[in-house]
Amino acid sequence: MNATFTLLEMRRITRDWAGMFFTAVLPAFFYLIFGATVDAKDATIGNGNVAMYVMISMAAYGAVTATTSIGGNAAVERQQGWGRQLGLTPLADSSYIAMKALIAMTVAAVPILLTFALGAATGARGSAQAWALSAVLCLVGSAVFAVYGLLVGTAFRSEAAVGAASGTMVIFAFLGNLFIPLSGALLTFAKFTPLYGYAALARYPLTEGYLPDGSRDPLWLPIVNVLAWLAVFGVSAVLLVRRGRERQ
Amino acid sequence: MTTTSRPLDGASGAPAIELRSLVKSFPPRRGSQDTEVRAVDGIDLHIEPGEVVAFLGPNGAGKTTTLDMVLGLTEPTSGTAEVFGRRPREAVVGGHVSAVLQTGGLLRDLTVRETVRMIASTYVAHAPVDEVIDRAGLTLLAGRRVSKCSGGEQQRLRFALALLPDPRLLVLDEPTAGMDVTARRDFWDTMHEDASAGRTVVFATHYLEEADAFADRIVLIAGGRIVADGTTAEIRSQASGRTVSATLPPGSVAESVARLRTVEGVHDVVERGSRVVVTAADSDAVARLLLLDLGGTDLEIVTAGLEQAFMTLTGDGRDLDAEKELVR
Repeated sequence: MNATFTLLEMRRITRDWAGMFFTAVLPAFFYLIFGATVDAKDATIGNGNVAMYVMISMAAYGAVTATTSIGGNAAVERQQGWGRQLGLTPLADSSYIAMKALIAMTVAAVPILLTFALGAATGARGSAQAWALSAVLCLVGSAVFAVYGLLVGTAFRSEAAVGAASGTMVIFAFLGNLFIPLSGALLTFAKFTPLYGYAALARYPLTEGYLPDGSRDPLWLPIVNVLAWLAVFGVSAVLLVRRGRERQ
Repeated sequence: MTTTSRPLDGASGAPAIELRSLVKSFPPRRGSQDTEVRAVDGIDLHIEPGEVVAFLGPNGAGKTTTLDMVLGLTEPTSGTAEVFGRRPREAVVGGHVSAVLQTGGLLRDLTVRETVRMIASTYVAHAPVDEVIDRAGLTLLAGRRVSKCSGGEQQRLRFALALLPDPRLLVLDEPTAGMDVTARRDFWDTMHEDASAGRTVVFATHYLEEADAFADRIVLIAGGRIVADGTTAEIRSQASGRTVSATLPPGSVAESVARLRTVEGVHDVVERGSRVVVTAADSDAVARLLLLDLGGTDLEIVTAGLEQAFMTLTGDGRDLDAEKELVR
């Protein structure tokens, strides 16, 4: 890990105030609309209440939006020739990806902290363990989507890559049971989609696997989902990053 | 921050660049009717440490693709590329080779100094950041955003980045492309100041004057092949050849062309209707033959410039092997 490189990358992101605002503030705003102000917010779920359930969901959505956009930006930089410049240095692909993932997670921590702080202030209730663990899981799991952003951005190879990657997050968030409670065949299908495992895992300390429709996921289901998608994104990203070195 | 003073391991024999039967082909663009494109079509090249070599050729000749393989940015389709006896990627990781790329992107939201610091941090040992900024003539611009730098200033920044590992081989791919005359002269002045003894420099260009002014050796590339390879003096002697043209009597053109081709020192014969255009080292002998034996009229003798030698060598694919032999 290269501290100078990572800190300079961080400085670039903090210079982009507009981008930071939308990445960090939008999910918090969603929480206020869908969580803090709904009638059922005090209803009990697992070790806490509905407000907390929505809070974790929105924090997760904010975190993956941040990581996806950072991954996508990395891909755009690379296609504009920065990848060739880095290809002239000893920097290994694996180090580059690891640094970008770390940066993405640092930025992802911002919407998580903001949403959790709002949740604490507006009636989200849960066990101390649920608060701590779900925050950590939101953060750690979001790394998977930094790799996803890199993958999408590298595949699309254009300025639109970032927008495309972030845009697909909204669809995956619906399918991942983040915005509205799913049931029936759609829920069964949802369990195979990329955000489902991550969101279910982040909420597990609160829900212990119980879903709003009363059914229950065993713990291995979200874990297998996350690992499988991590493998798919990781392998594809490494292959595509290698291709990014070659002049097109 | 440490400065580098690496022992010159490998200086004892291994060539700076060794290319053997190097081929790179790209698949055809999706939806096009083309077959695969052979950007580099069998290049053999040996460059000794300390040489300053120009890759000269028109756009699309395969210069950049060849250099990409030297730098390990692209894998050859077949053949091998070695840098100081190592695989190119190993040479890059070891800091033995560095480059200023034609299209090497920079991050527009970083400053000049931040960019140098960032790239410097990827090396285990590198020249001090402020020293390379100074050597590239960027001291006054160190705090400026890359997006606010001119094309020439950005190119000097790429040059500063290339100096970081203190490489034994420096590759410059069209380093002055897109610069105006003043910026181009400034860039080469900077290069000259830095041309420390012993550093091997290979640069691609399609400007003859640049190749002539800076290189000891010129490798002419066209259509993915080397069409000529020699010292600048040897290449220039090509230019001392003259073009002789004359109008021949109707009906005798084909026979005369065949006869002219057998004359020693003639390297090209072109038919243009009833006129023949002959490029030859000994223009007097050709003129005598045309006027006395072949019945030619309206004779003209033109001294070819360096530019014309370049055009002749790279412009079309005819008699390339013959010309290659002649230059050697």
